[in-house]
Amino acid sequence: MTSIGYLFAALFLPLFPFSMLFNQLFARLPRAWPRMGLLILWPQLGILALASQGERPPSWMAWWAVATAALYALRTLALRDLGLWTGYMATSAWVLLWPTAAFGNSTAGSAGLAYQALGLSVPFVLLAWLAGRLESELGAAYAGLCGGLAQTLPRLSGLLVLGVLAAVATPLVPGFFTLLATTVHALPTSPGIALLILTVWLLWAWSGARIVPGLIAGPVCVDLERDLGATAARLLGLAFVVLVLAGISLSGEMT
Amino acid sequence: MEGLVVVVLLLPVVAAIATYLTAPSLHRDSVRISILGIVATFAFAALLLGMVLAGKPAGEIRLGASWGVLLFDPLSTLMAFVVSGISLVVHVYSMRYMAEERGYARFFVLLDLMTAALLLMVSAGDLITLLIAWHLIGVLLYFLLGHDTASQSAHRYASWTLLTYRFGDLPLLLAAGLLYQAFGTWSLPDVFSYLASAPDTRTLFGLPLAETTAGLVALAAFARSAQFLLHTWLPYTMSGPTPVSALMHAGIVNAGGFLINRFAPVFVTTDGVLHWVFFVGLVTAVIGSILMLAQNDIKKALGYSTMGQMGFMIMECGVGAFSLAVYHLIAHGLFKGTLFLGAGGVISEARHDDGVPKDDLYTFVVERRSARRQQPWLLMAAITLAVPAIILVLAHWMVASDFFQKQGAVVLLFFGWVTGAQLIFSTYRMRSENIWRLMGLILVSFTIVVVGYTLISHAFDLFLYPDPVFRDRIYIAAGIDVIWFDALVILMTLVVVLGWLAAYYAEENGRRGKARLSALWRSFYRLVAQEFFVMRLYARLSRGLLAIATRLNVLLRWS
Repeated sequence: MTSIGYLFAALFLPLFPFSMLFNQLFARLPRAWPRMGLLILWPQLGILALASQGERPPSWMAWWAVATAALYALRTLALRDLGLWTGYMATSAWVLLWPTAAFGNSTAGSAGLAYQALGLSVPFVLLAWLAGRLESELGAAYAGLCGGLAQTLPRLSGLLVLGVLAAVATPLVPGFFTLLATTVHALPTSPGIALLILTVWLLWAWSGARIVPGLIAGPVCVDLERDLGATAARLLGLAFVVLVLAGISLSGEMT
Repeated sequence: MEGLVVVVLLLPVVAAIATYLTAPSLHRDSVRISILGIVATFAFAALLLGMVLAGKPAGEIRLGASWGVLLFDPLSTLMAFVVSGISLVVHVYSMRYMAEERGYARFFVLLDLMTAALLLMVSAGDLITLLIAWHLIGVLLYFLLGHDTASQSAHRYASWTLLTYRFGDLPLLLAAGLLYQAFGTWSLPDVFSYLASAPDTRTLFGLPLAETTAGLVALAAFARSAQFLLHTWLPYTMSGPTPVSALMHAGIVNAGGFLINRFAPVFVTTDGVLHWVFFVGLVTAVIGSILMLAQNDIKKALGYSTMGQMGFMIMECGVGAFSLAVYHLIAHGLFKGTLFLGAGGVISEARHDDGVPKDDLYTFVVERRSARRQQPWLLMAAITLAVPAIILVLAHWMVASDFFQKQGAVVLLFFGWVTGAQLIFSTYRMRSENIWRLMGLILVSFTIVVVGYTLISHAFDLFLYPDPVFRDRIYIAAGIDVIWFDALVILMTLVVVLGWLAAYYAEENGRRGKARLSALWRSFYRLVAQEFFVMRLYARLSRGLLAIATRLNVLLRWS
């Protein structure tokens, strides 16, 4: 039972090479909405499988997880497609829940892990939606293909920037506190894992700083007039504020 | 009244939100809200500083259970006053400077948020709040530098800045983690008090906690203050708007000096870390100054000048003159901010008229024509070497008679002596109707600078570190063995004096030996022109990493 449980967890908190299955599936989904659903559900199934074990995962699995996170973080550097980038980043982020479960604050329990997984997933859901929107407008959500979106679609660009910032675990979103707590708790027993997590964090920032300018900066390539409506933009902005508040409230438990 | 700390922090955030929300209806007038918010922030920051100067004891405000602690102490109030003051100047300047730019209101929103992040950093009373502010400053700077969304080069350099800043965030995060694991608290005052009671605490691999965390904090400070090998972002950020350059060079880049001061209770318990801090600062000061001299672009030259100044600031920390570093960062912030804000005007005026009067100074510095009538060299050498030393010793003796016991003070005196002597050495051959009048004016100026600097830095010392025992401990932590110290001072003096003699000999003997030196000089100039190949090395490493990432993606079939 333990092996099967861990196998399920390795599939849904996707350790390499099981992660390839998630990314294949994510890339083949034709529309934004199924992708968004997948991003919410997939890690929750992994948390359920992990919680069913009733014990902390062994440290070798935590090493496997951070190696997977580093692999996908590195690979995002070469990506230009926002949809693919979202899938890789989600993979890199979710696997870090393995060291969170292995070293994290035990009082948080599986419910705490589920909240952390949700906190990590929400920015990717927003990005998947934005990628879908860009694909329908431009034919592809591809950095460098048609830049200057900040000038033609300012609201959508603003949300894209917020989404990428949240995805790369910028303060004060839940991802920031998850990574902070995991690093600090792994430090005394597995400093190597803590250092790898920090390296992953650095690669995320670099990756985010590569994909955002390719989409929003540069001269305008085509005139687009279908920016988000003011109400929709404000609602999504409000969702971002809620995410920040959730991060602050989660921080109390984790730290 | 400590609640004012929260008000000072919240005012720029409220101003940013109000500016953003009113921009669609008020258009360009919405930035007046931003300016009003910063004026109020500055006024409250001044009030807080006034309270501390009036003797109100230090305190803290807790906004959360484990983090969200804000400090009310001399360092935080002084820095809040400086940050809000510089921010106010930049806001007012930007009102007209940015008026024609796209995203006018967005720029002010970002400026307000940056001000709030800087204020949060200087008043952070726990490690998490400090980390959050430290991290946010890098992110906000990225957006300020990339304000011109049409410019891809601005975004490229902004990305490079962000990456260096993130690299600097990580050692601070590690230091925070080690301190938390050792003492079980995020609170900075608690951590410092635990460390003072148990300075020999060990951490990972049996390493001493104080030295390990101090080294990591210093590394974070080096990245933020553009120390050598982590400096490449600084001169390349000139594609950003000029007010952002001013804010960055006057306020943000100085954060390294602030951080070392904030962690002073950790540094006083270390042995040897401050020597490395001094060494890194020294190398940065020398290289930054050399690179500055090789530039032909005024803004890039100012960028490298900042690098050199940051080297001096870090070096001051390395010799134990922590409060002097704070004075330095404030003074540098004011003059560098002024230079940046005036750079555009200078360039514009220089296009019509270079404005350089063809007087004695011009013929001496530019045309390198020296006076026909030479003064007796022995007398001039004696004045060159002795007078600056006498002025410096007397000035320091005024504020502390035991300053010769502090190695840090002696090092700074040495630098002052070299600077003063160099000034006299390089000017006494100037054409002048009355050389003694010129020398007199130089000496009076030098005396005013030295006495002013000594008195103000002494006042800063008393204000920031009122405990004399703590002040002495900082100097002790920065000190080295007396025999080694004396030997180094003598060696450096000989090197400097021999350098002057060589320069004097070269001037007197014309072009002899010049051909041999010129080949060496050209090689050195090539090295400087290529900025010591550091940027090229980083670019090659980045390209290599990106190539590996691409190959991996292909190998794994993009899944």
